[in-house]
Amino acid sequence: MAVESNAIDAAGPYDRAKALSAFKLGDVTFYWITRLSAISVLLILGGIILSLIVGAFPAMKEYGFAFLWTQRWAPSADPPVLGALGPMYGTLVTSFIAMLIAIPVGLGIAIFLTELCPQWLRRPIGMAVELLAGIPSIIYGMWGFFVLGPFLANTFQPFMIKIFDGVPVLGAVFAGPPSYLSLFNAALILAIMVLPFITSISVDVFKTVPPVLKEAAYGVGCTTWEVVRSVVIPYTRVGIIGGVMLALGRALGETMAVTFIIGNSFRISSSIFAPGTTISAAIASEFAESDGLHQSGLILLGLLLFVLTFFVLAAARLMLLRLEKKAGR
Amino acid sequence: MTDLSVSVSSNAHLASQQPLPEAPAKVTVRNLNFYYGEHQALKNINMTLGTNRVTAFIGPSGCGKSTLLRIFNRMYDLYPGQRVTGQLMLDQTNILDPKLDLNLLRARVGMVFQKPTPFPMTIYENIAFGIRLYEKISKSEMDDRVEKALRGGALWNEVKDKLNASGLSLSGGQQQRLCIARTVAVRPEVILFDEPCSALDPISTAKVEELIQELSENYTIAIVTHNMQQAARVSDKTAFMYLGELIEFDDTSKIFTSPSDRRTQDYITGRFG
Repeated sequence: MAVESNAIDAAGPYDRAKALSAFKLGDVTFYWITRLSAISVLLILGGIILSLIVGAFPAMKEYGFAFLWTQRWAPSADPPVLGALGPMYGTLVTSFIAMLIAIPVGLGIAIFLTELCPQWLRRPIGMAVELLAGIPSIIYGMWGFFVLGPFLANTFQPFMIKIFDGVPVLGAVFAGPPSYLSLFNAALILAIMVLPFITSISVDVFKTVPPVLKEAAYGVGCTTWEVVRSVVIPYTRVGIIGGVMLALGRALGETMAVTFIIGNSFRISSSIFAPGTTISAAIASEFAESDGLHQSGLILLGLLLFVLTFFVLAAARLMLLRLEKKAGR
Repeated sequence: MTDLSVSVSSNAHLASQQPLPEAPAKVTVRNLNFYYGEHQALKNINMTLGTNRVTAFIGPSGCGKSTLLRIFNRMYDLYPGQRVTGQLMLDQTNILDPKLDLNLLRARVGMVFQKPTPFPMTIYENIAFGIRLYEKISKSEMDDRVEKALRGGALWNEVKDKLNASGLSLSGGQQQRLCIARTVAVRPEVILFDEPCSALDPISTAKVEELIQELSENYTIAIVTHNMQQAARVSDKTAFMYLGELIEFDDTSKIFTSPSDRRTQDYITGRFG
């Protein structure tokens, strides 16, 4: 026994030094692998932006800033007339309506799941929400085309027209001939698609609220609604906004489902039940048959979407910073 | 028997060794049992909290003292699988009545927790929030109530110039006094303290203890503590609990000088726990 331990002692320092030097090599390799991985993100991002700019350059030179406020999109005219106003309008409106629907519903589900739901119902609903996120977007597109579109055109829109007919602004928003393919149909599908993002992130951040904080609020006599409104949501504000921004990013860029059901019309209509288009839908439906200036115009649209998304996310960041400053004032 | 490490001379009535006069009952506990699922955490508790008296609950961890406290304002109701049998009266109100309005109960029975729990809002709002739940009052009245509550929490002088700062910007001790002020603002009848000083430094602890003494003039107080000196300093009555049972419940002076149960004596002299 004693001999054995002596032998280990003798071998110890030597082996340890050798082992350490081996680790050192490993450490350096590890450091460089992680560093290269991180750098590759920057390279890829930069490469994409660069190639977008190069591809869009002819269109930029041809149309200049007028591209932004031209509504006409006539690629087969000679020379082609291209303007991004229609797709930009469609992108912003569909995303806006989608968020208008998805935020309250998503938060509602999250609040129900974390604060009110009986234990046995929690798993089924939680799983359903997660499955919703797993449905491929093309399926949403088909469903929107064959089920939601007819319902909206035949039932929902006539109903809304009946209610709002003659009301100054809202009358125009819901007016127009029924169409299976519409901005509103796309917005509704987008809302369903981004719902799981908002819900699952909200559920996660709601779970971070310390139970004792909630107990304290219940302890002064709050109802569940008051606890959620005054304690849970303010406490988790930053996380919720993060989830909403992620959802918004997805809604702005979603392509396949939207292309299916939005109707690909570049004309801007005051009615949300009229067909429209979004940037990504326009690119997806036209890119394969495009060439020359038309293709360059589509790439410029892509660049615009990039910039649009960037600004939206940056604005969200800024808002978050302001909120934090206000809370910690 | 008299060789006890705990000093009990700071309270005048403790030194006198005279039994306290009986106070009228505020909270009455009869044959109370409590279960976490299958596990029975409280066994046949019987006791009475006297009006405007401070009652301390001591005992080793897991003995059920916090559990008992959380029954007084039905906090256990938030969690499924926890149930209670027996009788628990607040004056003439049956606390355990399933049809009881919990929000009103919690307005009558306030609670201060182990960790400070300021709400994520300004200092002013932390106080005004609770008041607004029950009363519609004007801005100037609200200002008065907030000031009064903060004075009641011995915090006014420290925060009067920064009422619009976040409640989270205060130090731990200040946060705890903010929580006490918040509890007082709703004008409860009973205040429950669940180890209110365990996260505080000695100076803040002294302030909170002083506050508890002052509050006991107007409120019935129950305090759970692991600190026996604290129990001796602030309380009129002390309950010693062990393994879910109430072992001994008597005047604090008696418990700390001549306890009648062997286990009480062992605990307060530090032989176990």
